[in-house]
Amino acid sequence: MLRYTARRLLLMSITVIGMVTVVFFLLRAIPGDPASYMLGDYATEESVAALKAELGLDRPVWEQYLGFVKRALTGDLGTSVVTGQPAFDEVLESIPWSAALSVSGIIIAVLAGVPLGVMSAVRHGTFADLFVMLGALIGISFPVFWVGLVCILLLAHEVRLFPALGASSSQDFFTQVHHLMLPALVLGFSVAAYIARLTRSAMLEVLGQDFVRVARAMGVPERRIVYRLALRNALIPVLAVIGVTFAWSLGSAILVEAVFSRPGLGSMILKAVFARDYQLVQAGVFVLASAVVLVNTSLDIVYGWVDPRVSVS
Amino acid sequence: MSDGAVLAVRDLRTVFPSESGPVTTVDKVSFSLGAGETLAVVGESGSGKTMTFLSVLRLVPPPGRVIGGEVLFEGADIATLSASAMRSIRGAGIAMVFQDPLTALNPVFTIGDQMLEVIRAHTGMGPRQARVRALEVLERVHIPAPAQRIDDYPHQLSGGMRQRVLIAMAIALRPKVLIADEPTTALDVTVQAQILELLAELRSELGMGMVLITHDLGLVAKYADRVAVMYAGRVVETSPMARGFGQSRHPYTRSLFRSIPRLDLPADQPLTAIAGQPPDLARLPAGCAFEPRCFLGNGREDCRNERPALSPTTSDRHLSACPHWRTLLDAEPGA
Repeated sequence: MLRYTARRLLLMSITVIGMVTVVFFLLRAIPGDPASYMLGDYATEESVAALKAELGLDRPVWEQYLGFVKRALTGDLGTSVVTGQPAFDEVLESIPWSAALSVSGIIIAVLAGVPLGVMSAVRHGTFADLFVMLGALIGISFPVFWVGLVCILLLAHEVRLFPALGASSSQDFFTQVHHLMLPALVLGFSVAAYIARLTRSAMLEVLGQDFVRVARAMGVPERRIVYRLALRNALIPVLAVIGVTFAWSLGSAILVEAVFSRPGLGSMILKAVFARDYQLVQAGVFVLASAVVLVNTSLDIVYGWVDPRVSVS
Repeated sequence: MSDGAVLAVRDLRTVFPSESGPVTTVDKVSFSLGAGETLAVVGESGSGKTMTFLSVLRLVPPPGRVIGGEVLFEGADIATLSASAMRSIRGAGIAMVFQDPLTALNPVFTIGDQMLEVIRAHTGMGPRQARVRALEVLERVHIPAPAQRIDDYPHQLSGGMRQRVLIAMAIALRPKVLIADEPTTALDVTVQAQILELLAELRSELGMGMVLITHDLGLVAKYADRVAVMYAGRVVETSPMARGFGQSRHPYTRSLFRSIPRLDLPADQPLTAIAGQPPDLARLPAGCAFEPRCFLGNGREDCRNERPALSPTTSDRHLSACPHWRTLLDAEPGA
């Protein structure tokens, strides 16, 4: 178990380093640079060249990369050229917004998707199953920004249950939560749809297995069979997918943030890319990649604990 | 035998709906099983052996349904019990061991955990007490060092060990009847003998009635007291094992017996097979289901038109569903 965990942690740092490296070179491959962006359309070539030299952009890319790595190792991810603030601090500011949205979305998705999937499997072929699967189909096939707009229209405009804006400047915790609810529900709905379908098919497969028939033949109550003996088996593929949906929810979060005018890591990185704010993009990607990899690694470790066959082999 | 029977089944019928009409997989099956007795149930695949006992336990997979018959367990009809009363009989009164020990255990729980689940489903035992019971039965099925094994996961055990665990689970509540459904089919030959010896030993120690579902006639001869032969969902012959298959009074049993490969015959002698295919249960002939493949019946009017009932032959302990059983005795004295 310890070796398994150590190996996972090593793989995890390699992935993050790889991600950041790829982004570093990709950014510099896109036409345009921060100097010309900052100085605008009427800047002279000399002033652009001067600013480039000041920012160190005139040196060969590999030299810039070595410098970046050296500074990154000391914990310095550079300064945002647009705001002049340390890039990492800028990123840190938007993390709570993104984390709150993604985590609450995933929690809603798991809390709704797993029980609905189990119910659908246990009562498969009934009206309840049909109803849940229809809802799941809608959640999967309708784009999240469209669902978001419809929800704003229905739940914020027609019936004034939630605020239309996904964020508030208020420091009050309950006001913040109230603003977060609708975006989180919208994000959670699409992920829940996915999890419900997966849980249903995993559960159906498990309920057809020999060991379930054995448990029935031994008189184990049906409730214990479904919610303990079978569910743990069915959760193995679901767990594996939660990590993937987390990465995916960070992606959809950009759309949700846009629809609800909510600040966050996604919209911050998007703006930074347009401004060719290299340092800010790099710092943002570093944090995003770390978060995705961290979640997936912890799930892998949990996976090894749920499925005893994994850690032994 | 039926007066002292721990399990007696009368006219059990199970039907599966299908596109070509209802298929009767268990057709008026009757048998009885005494305490401490071993009844072997033999027949080809699809003859309804397993389905008969799933019907007894009311575990027929949907859309199949038991549509008639009595199941007397210790004298009381359990076919009409409520679902929860039936559940308390499964495992505790009548237990079943299945064919493939590799898939019969839950891969993500330790064997102890799974045994506790069964023990605690039927008793008010706390986890500690139930664990003591689990260790006892593991010991009983000769699992070495049960105290270490109990916390193993199924994949850490060999096939034979897993079947022992499943047997331990089945006997943990001292059932009166143990149904072993081809318990050794998935195991190595050397392990097969050990498992059967274990079952025989447990049967006599615990005084259980045992049903051995198999298609291995060699096992039947060695371990069974009585044998019931099934064909196309029906019991076609029941006889005391002491008579041996050579004395069988149904042409299907004779054919089965003759199709066993024999070591004492020359190697170039072709293997004997029963001509034709097992019948399609959705389109059974009006008369005897075995008639089209029968070496006796061919052409006889009554075989084609009348469905023969299981009736006594020379003794009321040896029943046959062939009205022409006497011909067999005359025709083949040495078979």
